[in-house]
Amino acid sequence: MEYRDYYEILDVEKSATQDEIKRAFRKLARKFHPDLNKDEDAEAKFKEISEANEVLSDPEKRAAYDQLGQAYRPGQDFQPPPDWDAGFEFSDGPASENAQGQDFSDFFETLFGEAYQQKRAADAKARFHAKGQDHHAKVLIDLEDTFHGTKRTIVLKVPEVTEDGHLVVKDRKLEVSIPKGVQEGQHIRLKGQGAPGRGDGTAGDLYIEIVNKAHPIYRAGGSDLYLDLPVTPWEAALGRKVKVPTPGGIVDLNIPAGSQQGRKLRLKGRGLPAKPPGDLYVSLRIALPPADSAKAKKVYEAMAELDFNPREHLMRDIKHGDQVRAKS
Amino acid sequence: MNGQILREDYKLALTDICEKCEVPESKVIAYIEEGVVEVQGNEVKLWRFTEASIVRIRQANRLEQDLRLNPAGAALALELMSQIEDLKNELKRFQPT
Repeated sequence: MEYRDYYEILDVEKSATQDEIKRAFRKLARKFHPDLNKDEDAEAKFKEISEANEVLSDPEKRAAYDQLGQAYRPGQDFQPPPDWDAGFEFSDGPASENAQGQDFSDFFETLFGEAYQQKRAADAKARFHAKGQDHHAKVLIDLEDTFHGTKRTIVLKVPEVTEDGHLVVKDRKLEVSIPKGVQEGQHIRLKGQGAPGRGDGTAGDLYIEIVNKAHPIYRAGGSDLYLDLPVTPWEAALGRKVKVPTPGGIVDLNIPAGSQQGRKLRLKGRGLPAKPPGDLYVSLRIALPPADSAKAKKVYEAMAELDFNPREHLMRDIKHGDQVRAKS
Repeated sequence: MNGQILREDYKLALTDICEKCEVPESKVIAYIEEGVVEVQGNEVKLWRFTEASIVRIRQANRLEQDLRLNPAGAALALELMSQIEDLKNELKRFQPT
């Protein structure tokens, strides 16, 4: 078991006042709350700072932790000395609101867990029925998966109270079918796969959020897809039929004559499966051939004979002063 | 194991949504007033919610508890979050893949 430096986690001095600890925790909680921060490690970080706050915000626990921690560095292997908590009295109050239902580290459970474990075991035995907590998980899927559906294995950490009242954390693996047509941001509910209920209470549900992996060529927005399509200047100017990849296969797309950079063309029903199916929006990106050969240079020089000034509108409403400055 | 996608049609009554979100009716009403969730139906008895609202209400409620916000603050946080998500998606267009 590794020693945890709760002061370092909250980024406060060892001499910080209770108010400073409160402020540091609140600031970090806003930054790493998993509903606000979509980074993958935000949830773990939020648990870590909640755990640190659980100890440091309580003067009794903080005093005990301080006495214990003098000889340790973070990450160092840690064994609590026997009777380490002798002389400290822990109030039997409920865990703070942020701590409810959280699974803290082994380090925390070893030091402060006993009171909670006894309380949880007592709760479990009491004639008290409550629905179990709902759990949350995220799965990353490929865009292609939305066409055929897929299966994903999810590993959940499940705290369990054993018969003798000890708390253990077990891995629970679930193979989940992801139905076809699912979209980013949608949730799938697995009934009864959350935390077990207390007494006769039913188990909670498991909510799985769907997140799309970045695709090399498409971007998804709901059931619509977006694709940047490089075209040559002559394809854009003269119009041409070009081949375009869609998730359902390659199709022919008519580039209308006189197309400009960024023109959007819609391929109806060529997006993701849904009712109705999404569309594929193609944005034209005009790619210029390099002028790295005599032939290419000749073509560009021929184009220079065109009466074309793309900066004309910049010069039209210019102020007199600007013109003078530009000349000098 | 088969789950179900949370539906986006308006089927759930107020009592259903309270039970699924484990919040009192007053909380759901506050979230409707703040625009966290939308409801169809003219009177409370006829109100219908989407299943997708379950996730929104639970998110708002977690934010309220964990960050000591009120319903208006939670609604603001969710609104700003969705704006950030939209901007991040827009930004992906300009990042080389």
